[in-house]
Amino acid sequence: MSFALPTLGAGSRTPARPPLRRVLLPRRRQLLTVVVVALLVAGALRPFAHNPYIELAGETLFVGLMLLFAFNAAGQWRQDAVPRWLVQVIAIAVAAMLSPLIVQLLTFGGDFSAFLGSRGHVRGYVLVMTVAVIIGTLVALGALYSERDAQARAQALQFALEKETLQRQAADARLHLMTAQIQPHFLFNTLANVQELVESGSPRAAPVFRSLIDYLCAAMPRLSQEDATLADEERLVRAYLDLMQMRMPDRLSYRVDIDPEVALMHFPPMALLTLVENAIRHGIDPGCEAGSVEVGARRELDGSVHLWVSDTGVGLSDEAGEGTGLANLNARLAAFFGEGARVELSEHAPHGVRADIRVHMRA
Amino acid sequence: MATALIADDEPLLRERLAALLGNLWPELEIVAQARNGREAVELFEDAQPEVAFLDVHMPGMNGIEVARCIGRRAQLVFVTAFDKYAVQAFEQGAIDYVVKPIGEQRLAETVQRLRERVASPGRDTPQWEATLEKMAAQLRERMAPKPGLKWIKASVGATVKLIPVEQVIYLKSDNKYTLVVWDGGEALIRKTIRELADELDASRFTQVHRSAIVCMDRVSHFTHGPGDSGELHLKGRSERLTVSRSYLHLFQQM
Repeated sequence: MSFALPTLGAGSRTPARPPLRRVLLPRRRQLLTVVVVALLVAGALRPFAHNPYIELAGETLFVGLMLLFAFNAAGQWRQDAVPRWLVQVIAIAVAAMLSPLIVQLLTFGGDFSAFLGSRGHVRGYVLVMTVAVIIGTLVALGALYSERDAQARAQALQFALEKETLQRQAADARLHLMTAQIQPHFLFNTLANVQELVESGSPRAAPVFRSLIDYLCAAMPRLSQEDATLADEERLVRAYLDLMQMRMPDRLSYRVDIDPEVALMHFPPMALLTLVENAIRHGIDPGCEAGSVEVGARRELDGSVHLWVSDTGVGLSDEAGEGTGLANLNARLAAFFGEGARVELSEHAPHGVRADIRVHMRA
Repeated sequence: MATALIADDEPLLRERLAALLGNLWPELEIVAQARNGREAVELFEDAQPEVAFLDVHMPGMNGIEVARCIGRRAQLVFVTAFDKYAVQAFEQGAIDYVVKPIGEQRLAETVQRLRERVASPGRDTPQWEATLEKMAAQLRERMAPKPGLKWIKASVGATVKLIPVEQVIYLKSDNKYTLVVWDGGEALIRKTIRELADELDASRFTQVHRSAIVCMDRVSHFTHGPGDSGELHLKGRSERLTVSRSYLHLFQQM
């Protein structure tokens, strides 16, 4: 019944904390519960007391409201030593003992000894106090329970939402790959080069053709392949770099050094290629000078695998850059290797960009 | 005898174009082959050819920029690999263009047109300059940096880490350094909060304290603190950021 209190125990997701003034004022639902319970208790007490019902109801209503106030106020008290629910229950108990006393003292005009002198009133006080402690605690616990329940449901909803977001990101990344990976731009330019080699009767035509076929073979069916390995990725990267080197022989040199020991590890298709393509597109291609691209992978002593792509190109300017490709890649790596696997970019001295990925082996 | 310049960053494509032209227009002499935009302009100044074949996508200077330098001093043919913006602009019909891979048939038409123009200069289409201007504007727009910083550079030991701004969660500073917290970790940089506040995209990043800037997408909720202060809670993180009085109004409606 009470949702005024943000946390039960030490929850990590704290809902918004409204201003104090608004919290101390009871909610309509709380008020309604207190009134109903007070009137029922007054009815139940009627056979044991000499007072008329209206008097009793007034007393229980007052006590109830005091308990509610104590409950809400205790819920606001910030401390870590005692669990909040316990503080609130203790507050209820104290209020249950004090508030019927206030009622009694009011009827005696504040004369405490006169109150003690009247056995009937002392008996009445003990009765109301006992009932208030029991009923108040029960109602408070009920409120705390339903609050926790609501919080658990909210949290479950939040988790479901996050999971769905992650799944959608992975799907988006996949779709992006399918539509963007084999660009007509790349294909036409490469074909134009191959055409020249063929027509001029160059002996390089055959090996370049093989690279193109390798690239297409590797790139096309792998989009949906779940059990791709780093060796497959290496083949793709080599074919791509070979083609790019044919296109800019005076500007691009490359080295691929993937330790055979890690070649059979599972790896998300096109993840390394994305970085290599970025190195060419943003590093080598815009520059007039010659540059080199280095791709590598090796196992570290702690069993993790370190992959890298570095180039000696023009480097990333402060303002240029393609954020989406990198975000996609990070989403794919996280989906494949778990949270924590991500691409780290750094500057490559004296110029260029270096991308590092560190992941744990997945058998 | 007519002279021509070919500019393309891919040597095989230069050779192919030269070979095709050799067949289609034997009298044309290729006087220069340039590997990039800057070289194209230099070689053009040296050789002063009547025709220039310019690749649109070249390092240094792109083909359109080269064309602007050359101006009316040559017949221009653009060569492009499927760049839609260029095709669209060329469709105005002012200048000829060829799409890669170059087909012999298509190039024969170009050669035909060029022969006529070279034979009788001064018959330039009037909207020539307007078209160039339009293409240049389109290209500029494409290549113009989007507003706002994209990368934050942070020295970690001997390396300089590149932190994508889109992954930044918040920035917090003390006197000299600023702590950048992003999805991949934390790093100290030397820029001050004030410098960063000017550079960061204001639609995503908000200053909430004299010494703190936060990415609003990463905020889960705001709570009032004691007195005239408040705290921002972050999605999936336990730390909280203090909102000072002067920025409190930003969150009062939350």
